[in-house]
Amino acid sequence: MNSVSVADVGRPAIRWHTLSRSLRGGLKGGEYTWAVAFVVPYLAVFLTFVAYPVVYGLWLGSEPSLYRELFADPIYQTTVVNTVLYLALGVNVKMFLALLLSGFFMRPGRWMKVLLLIFVLPWAVPQISAFISIHWMLNGEWGFLNNLLYHLFHIEGPFWLNERWTALGAVIASHIWKWTPFWTLILLAGRMAIPLEIRDTARVDGATGVRGFVYITFPLLANLYLISTLLSTIFLLGDFNAVYFVSGGGPADSTHVLATLGIRDAFDLAQPRLGVAAVMSALPLVIPLVIVLMRKLRTTEVQL
Amino acid sequence: MANLSRRSVLGGSIALGASRVLAFPHVARAAATTATMWFAQGFVQDEDVSLRKAVADYEKASGNKIELSIIPFAPERQKIISAITSGVVPDIVDSNPLEILQIYAWQDKWVDVGDVVETQKAQFSETALQSIRAYNAVTKKHGVYGVPLRAAVAPCHIWRPLVEKAGFKIEDIPRTWDAHFDFFKKVQDSLRKQGERKVYGLGFQVTSNGVDPYNLFMAFLVAYGGQNIVTKDGKLRLDDPKVKEAATKAAAYLGGAYRDGYVPPSAINWNDADDNNAFHAKLMVMDLDGTLSTEVAMKEKHPDWYFKDIVTEGMNYPNDNAGRPVPSIVGYTTGLIPKGAKNVAVAKEFLKYFIQPKVIGEFVELGLGRWLPVMPSLAKSPFWQDPKDPHLRGYVQQGLLGPTIPDPLVFNPAMAEVRNQHVWSLAMIDVAREGVKPEAAIDKAFKRIGEMFAKYPVT
Repeated sequence: MNSVSVADVGRPAIRWHTLSRSLRGGLKGGEYTWAVAFVVPYLAVFLTFVAYPVVYGLWLGSEPSLYRELFADPIYQTTVVNTVLYLALGVNVKMFLALLLSGFFMRPGRWMKVLLLIFVLPWAVPQISAFISIHWMLNGEWGFLNNLLYHLFHIEGPFWLNERWTALGAVIASHIWKWTPFWTLILLAGRMAIPLEIRDTARVDGATGVRGFVYITFPLLANLYLISTLLSTIFLLGDFNAVYFVSGGGPADSTHVLATLGIRDAFDLAQPRLGVAAVMSALPLVIPLVIVLMRKLRTTEVQL
Repeated sequence: MANLSRRSVLGGSIALGASRVLAFPHVARAAATTATMWFAQGFVQDEDVSLRKAVADYEKASGNKIELSIIPFAPERQKIISAITSGVVPDIVDSNPLEILQIYAWQDKWVDVGDVVETQKAQFSETALQSIRAYNAVTKKHGVYGVPLRAAVAPCHIWRPLVEKAGFKIEDIPRTWDAHFDFFKKVQDSLRKQGERKVYGLGFQVTSNGVDPYNLFMAFLVAYGGQNIVTKDGKLRLDDPKVKEAATKAAAYLGGAYRDGYVPPSAINWNDADDNNAFHAKLMVMDLDGTLSTEVAMKEKHPDWYFKDIVTEGMNYPNDNAGRPVPSIVGYTTGLIPKGAKNVAVAKEFLKYFIQPKVIGEFVELGLGRWLPVMPSLAKSPFWQDPKDPHLRGYVQQGLLGPTIPDPLVFNPAMAEVRNQHVWSLAMIDVAREGVKPEAAIDKAFKRIGEMFAKYPVT
């Protein structure tokens, strides 16, 4: 005998009703239709411009043979080392400078506002032309820097872009020069959000100068500083311009980072899948960063 | 009056839209007469003007429409590769970079255009006809996948005033290979004695950026007898002692010139434009570099430089060290039709129109002669034979009328990897800076080249 009970027969209908009610979120009739109408364009844009490219990229770089080919490339290991150095130095030096400078720009006075305006100029100028100018400035024979050294001190400057370490140093310095103003502004905004009462109270208790920074300001800025550092690391991992236009990945392909190697493989070698694989090989670093970032952003504790 | 509900309005709108599409088939007919075309932006504006004129003339003559996009060089290259990877392609693209003809022919991504080329086959140079064939690894056959539009070769560009300041004349420059380039070392030595602190004899691109270093090395490889590094049927010949000897000599000469201080030190990290800038800054006496862009870029701003100071006329490649002519390697811009193009018929029709000698000749000439024509008959035009122009006759002689050969990458796309992974550059740099013996540098390069060719077996 079939043992289906009356309750079992009614269950799918109940489930569907519950699911439908849950999806509607308490909205009724026309309200629900309008809600759907507003969500559909966003979903379409998200699927087309976010989900599809990511899935397509994962698919392009999914063949194991690509990674065998990538690891066999003689410059891959050098590129990974460069990427790590670029991230470690580029991000941390920049963020530390931004932290210090944000304190400097907290000083009162009209001239400080003028100085801040001048300070943010590197961030405001288009990056490609700025990096091409730096490439030319660093030219060993006719570059501005070496000419200046010769005219002022009668010394022949080094060929900055001829050696791996000076070329990579030039790339990192260019990145720091370009992006320090932006992160300084972010941290400056963070500092300005610290209530005056807290600072005044700390001052009364003797927490001034370095002590005030260590015990009051930095703890309150720590979360913002960490999130900024994580974001900057993720941005920099995909940064292509500084390396491409300052050192060009040279000399002898010794200053490539994963982003420029990916571009080279995809478009110079006309092997887009290999290019995607080069960039995807950074995922073991990116995924933990994104997870930490998400957790930090989800924190409910009130902290700047 | 009937009640209008939201549903009825939406339904009505959709029905109206559908009926409009169905009721106006002329839209579909119009699409059938339209082809999209991507082309790389010119180095000088006149190049773009000449292309637009050719397209406008075709549209007027045919009634068809060509939707032309002129795109800067590097973005166009990326756009083409992205389009072919995704499958959403235009109807015509130029071969930017030139090796995409062979790379994507290998993957069966181009439409065969043998019928287009056939209409002017007798007009094209033999080197051009060789350069448009490619091996298709899917069909296991060779096919004609490109339509030759224009060509380029790498001439020697020389500063006359620097040669004369050193106490020499242009006529003193020897006409055999090593002696020719050694001459500029003497010029540098003489200029240094006169207190010129930063002038170098040779503008060799001993760098790992761009395509210049490959072209430079290949010119020397051919001059030393290594032109058969890849056979016409796509086989690698690294086991040929002549090839190895030639490659070793090329690495020794080019790397040695840098090591010995006859090449600007910054050349180790030049990009494609840096050697032009350095030449214009008179940092070096001579530069071996592709096209006449070095001269053409200065024609309006510094007419004296163009007409008097920079020399290419009569300076075809010198003979090899045994006195035999050295062929120049010619690269071709070709018109390509990707598989999946929506309007192959119009694309082919336009290309047939475009390669008529009068049309393609005018296209190249309006571009100020930066590019060469692909038909020997066009070299006889008053433009190319203008006695008042100091560059054009020599350039067209070297790249079209004189002895020429295709780049070996047309025989096997693996050579494109050799070029773009800068295998020759690394060999030159090993010799120039690392103190590596040329033989060892070439052994290392040959090992890498062998690995690359293993991926492209031509059966």
